[in-house]
Amino acid sequence: MKRNFAAVVLMMTVLSAMAYAGSISGKVSGVAGESAVYVEAAAGKTYPAPTAHPTIDQKGLMFQPHIVAVQVGTTVDFLNSDTVAHNVFWTGVGGNKKLTHNLGTWPKGEKRSFKFDNPGAVPLLCNVHPEMSGYVVVSPTPYFAVTDKSGDFKIEGVPDGSYTVTAWHEGAKNQSKPVTVAGDTKAEFTLTK
Amino acid sequence: MQVRQRVYAVVLGLLMLTGFTTSSYAIPAWSRQYGTSCSTCHVDFPKLNDFGKAFKDAGFKFPKDDESFMKIPPVLLGAPANKDLWPHTIWPGTIPGIPAIGLRYNHFFQVVSRNRNAYNAQLPNGQVGTYIPRVDNQPGYFSIFTAGNFGSDIAFWVDDDLSVAGSNANGGLGDAYLKFVNLGRILKLPTDSLSLRVGQFEVDLPFSQARSWNLSGWDIYSEANIGAANGLQPQNVNNGFAFSSPGQGIEISGGHLYRGYHYSVAFINQNTSGSSAAPANVDPANGVGFSSDSNFKDIYARFSYRFNLERDPASRNEIQAAGATGPHDHTSLNLGTYYLYGRSVQRATGVRSDGLTQTVITAREPFYRVGGDFSFNYRALNFFGLYMYGHDKNLVPLTPSGFILPTGFIGGRAATFSGGFLEADYLPLPWLMTIMRWDRVNSTADQINGIGADAGNPPPSPFFSPFSSVRNRFTPGVQFLIHANIKTSFEYQIRPKQIVYAPGTNFALTNPFRTNSAVAALEFVY
Repeated sequence: MKRNFAAVVLMMTVLSAMAYAGSISGKVSGVAGESAVYVEAAAGKTYPAPTAHPTIDQKGLMFQPHIVAVQVGTTVDFLNSDTVAHNVFWTGVGGNKKLTHNLGTWPKGEKRSFKFDNPGAVPLLCNVHPEMSGYVVVSPTPYFAVTDKSGDFKIEGVPDGSYTVTAWHEGAKNQSKPVTVAGDTKAEFTLTK
Repeated sequence: MQVRQRVYAVVLGLLMLTGFTTSSYAIPAWSRQYGTSCSTCHVDFPKLNDFGKAFKDAGFKFPKDDESFMKIPPVLLGAPANKDLWPHTIWPGTIPGIPAIGLRYNHFFQVVSRNRNAYNAQLPNGQVGTYIPRVDNQPGYFSIFTAGNFGSDIAFWVDDDLSVAGSNANGGLGDAYLKFVNLGRILKLPTDSLSLRVGQFEVDLPFSQARSWNLSGWDIYSEANIGAANGLQPQNVNNGFAFSSPGQGIEISGGHLYRGYHYSVAFINQNTSGSSAAPANVDPANGVGFSSDSNFKDIYARFSYRFNLERDPASRNEIQAAGATGPHDHTSLNLGTYYLYGRSVQRATGVRSDGLTQTVITAREPFYRVGGDFSFNYRALNFFGLYMYGHDKNLVPLTPSGFILPTGFIGGRAATFSGGFLEADYLPLPWLMTIMRWDRVNSTADQINGIGADAGNPPPSPFFSPFSSVRNRFTPGVQFLIHANIKTSFEYQIRPKQIVYAPGTNFALTNPFRTNSAVAALEFVY
């Protein structure tokens, strides 16, 4: 009986949350290729760190995928699938040069992991293949998305309310704007270099 | 050999010797094909890093999983399944998906020390030497090069200087060859233990002159062995061979440049006279030339062993060593030796023993070049050097008493030389390389000849021609990569005091000829 009651309460809670959760969709224009869009942190709100480890592969002398967006506190696995030696390092997080880090070198098929505890864009580099470039965009909230190549995005499961939403694109200036989410909400961004 | 000819030969050797530019190549075509930076293979182009050496060993491709790195896939000249039909079909190969062409241009600015015309001032009255300007802008090379892999481990390379300027230019076709990599697999030999190269190529020198990163070549590589021009020590040695020139022939090789053993044995055309033939009686008439000047083929052999000295044993056999901050070239010590044997041909008009019937008499003067080399690498520091000893047997025409022409040859004092170089390259930053070099050549022919020893036939004063008993040169330099494909370089060539003889008196002059020079260059490849 107690078990059934708990299930009902849980279902009610989920349905209730879904009823008040909307989405933010739109387009990032002014730049070509993928961008990242994320909801900035709201005062007093905290979010549990996810347990899943997204993977960034070094394959064919490229970081794949080129852009990965994660929530603060996420551990990212860096895999080397190439038969040549690679290295992963970054010169800062969100422009903070003090957060530079070097993961070193590891053989084909192995991984190195790193937990990103600071929000901001992390430019990934390889010191033996200087043309290699990738990004981890660390979002302060669990509400983020990477656009498709035409710039379209959709962030699901955002509770109704007022937020600041930021669009990021490599080499462009970030653009932030207030967005009030009520169900499916639109947000358009135009970035400049 | 006439004295005048010898002097010209000496001057020609000098011009070769004093050439202050060397061809150097990096291959932008591979950057395009693989979508990667020049610095994947080069420390400071064209100097190779360990990965670049492995790329070269593998036949200009990635040592493993080459296809997975190509951004522009090759064009199939036959489906791979055609291999099953062979010999009833052509063995399938590939060509690069884009024309594998790279271009290079460089420009030089040179400054020569104040006493640059001091030698000319010593010429006898009535003779005017070549005026040497204090500063000069010199267009260098515009070169084209193409290289890659045709599949089936067949690599190709062609480089040519389309346009050259300057009196020291040695343009034209450089290397042009096919290399059949890892042929040993057919014979079940260890991987990479046997490859075959056919065409025109620089022999497997310990440090490539053709692809040197220095502005000026290493002097010892340009040392031709030309015998004494005066009558005191008659030498009938006129060997124009120098390692700086490519040879034509075949080469077998094996091993790796980035670890362990490496060997090569080459058989190349013998041509010590510098002349080639296009005889009228070989069909098609004048359509076929011969670049050999004798039947003999020079033999060149090299063996080296590289000890990778990383503390981590697992890392020693990898192409690049693993480090806490990323892969890097191994800490290593490379030791090598090389040997070349040939038989320089001297032909002259002589007579038979009857003293009347004219004939061609031929001297075949065995010669060899032998030496050793080392290279030590520790992170950003590379310290290396080479020693060479050259020896040419000297067969002097023998004219019996009462004869006008010689009937044969008799052994004389051999013409020898020795020397080499030491060089240290250090990169305090990835785009900045500092260089310190010491070149030294000690030649008996130089000692005997002096400069302008024949007052009646003084050679024109070449641009840089300190030419006497021992030639030393100290060359500090610095090179900057503006981009990975654009480089500006500077070197200052210091030549200490040397003994030079006055053309008119044959007396040694105290210090008339100390021509230091500064050379700056700007070059780009694309």
